[in-house]
Amino acid sequence: MKERKSAKFNQQQQHQNGHLSPFKLTKLLDPEASWDKDQLGDVLHWIRQVVALVCGLTCGALPLVGGIWIVVFLIISSGIIYGYYAMILKIDEEDFGGHGTLLQEGLFASITVFLVHLSVGRFGRY
Amino acid sequence: MAAALFPALKYSDGLTVFGISACTAVICEAISWLLIYRTASYKSLKSTIDKASKKLETMKTTTEPSLATKKSKTKKIDRVESSLKESSRDLSLFKFKSGAVVAFVLFIVFGFMNNLFEGKAVAKLPFVPVRIVQKMSHRGLQGEDPTDCSMAFLYFLCSISIRTNLQKFLGFSPPRGAAGAGLFPMPDPKTS
Repeated sequence: MKERKSAKFNQQQQHQNGHLSPFKLTKLLDPEASWDKDQLGDVLHWIRQVVALVCGLTCGALPLVGGIWIVVFLIISSGIIYGYYAMILKIDEEDFGGHGTLLQEGLFASITVFLVHLSVGRFGRY
Repeated sequence: MAAALFPALKYSDGLTVFGISACTAVICEAISWLLIYRTASYKSLKSTIDKASKKLETMKTTTEPSLATKKSKTKKIDRVESSLKESSRDLSLFKFKSGAVVAFVLFIVFGFMNNLFEGKAVAKLPFVPVRIVQKMSHRGLQGEDPTDCSMAFLYFLCSISIRTNLQKFLGFSPPRGAAGAGLFPMPDPKTS
């Protein structure tokens, strides 16, 4: 299975010729699709931002206080990212720089998005 | 301004700061596009960095059968890495020259917002920040509630979140192979 995924990645690299392949939305849920490193990184980045937005607005609307919720958000968002690339896309993370590289895509920006929406949302309750 | 228009809304101050941050981010990216991104030098440097980092990745992942080829491959990798570092440095230098204009715009906007929200809490943090963060988050505020958030801190958070995503959306974020990318990639500081 890993050899097949690696072969799929290498084939994609060879056919690239320096150009990004056109991105289709159906690719997002297709475990057979081949991914370019930049495209996958971008998709993971945006997924994190959406999760941060939803979590920030939700936590802001609820009476959730404490730094623990930032940790909870990090766990949830990282879990979603991991679940997406490992279980839905069935990607071999070694071809894309390992778990660390994939999990850190958009991490810092998502924390700031989460804090902004949480803080502004909380303020409306006071 | 927004507070005058929507006096009943508690969210108005926070949303005003958010709105001004968003507009500033758009203006700064427009200035950066004008002075940096559309130039041939920038495009050429970015292309060089992209090619070098892809080449480096391919070289690092392929294995060599013999010791002699391994040694020559290591030398090649070192050469490509040096070339990548040089190109990244040139890119940073190139952006730095044009970043002064953006910095001036940000300075003006921050001064304006400081006057508008002086002494007012614009948001509420969900936790008590550490002392060093409180110096910014509670800057200029009356009262002792450490969860009150000043304009400066909210503006800082908004700037990072909006600009990073805007640069990503417009395709202006720094190439992945360039130096400076890591666990906490900030929005490209030379352009913001």
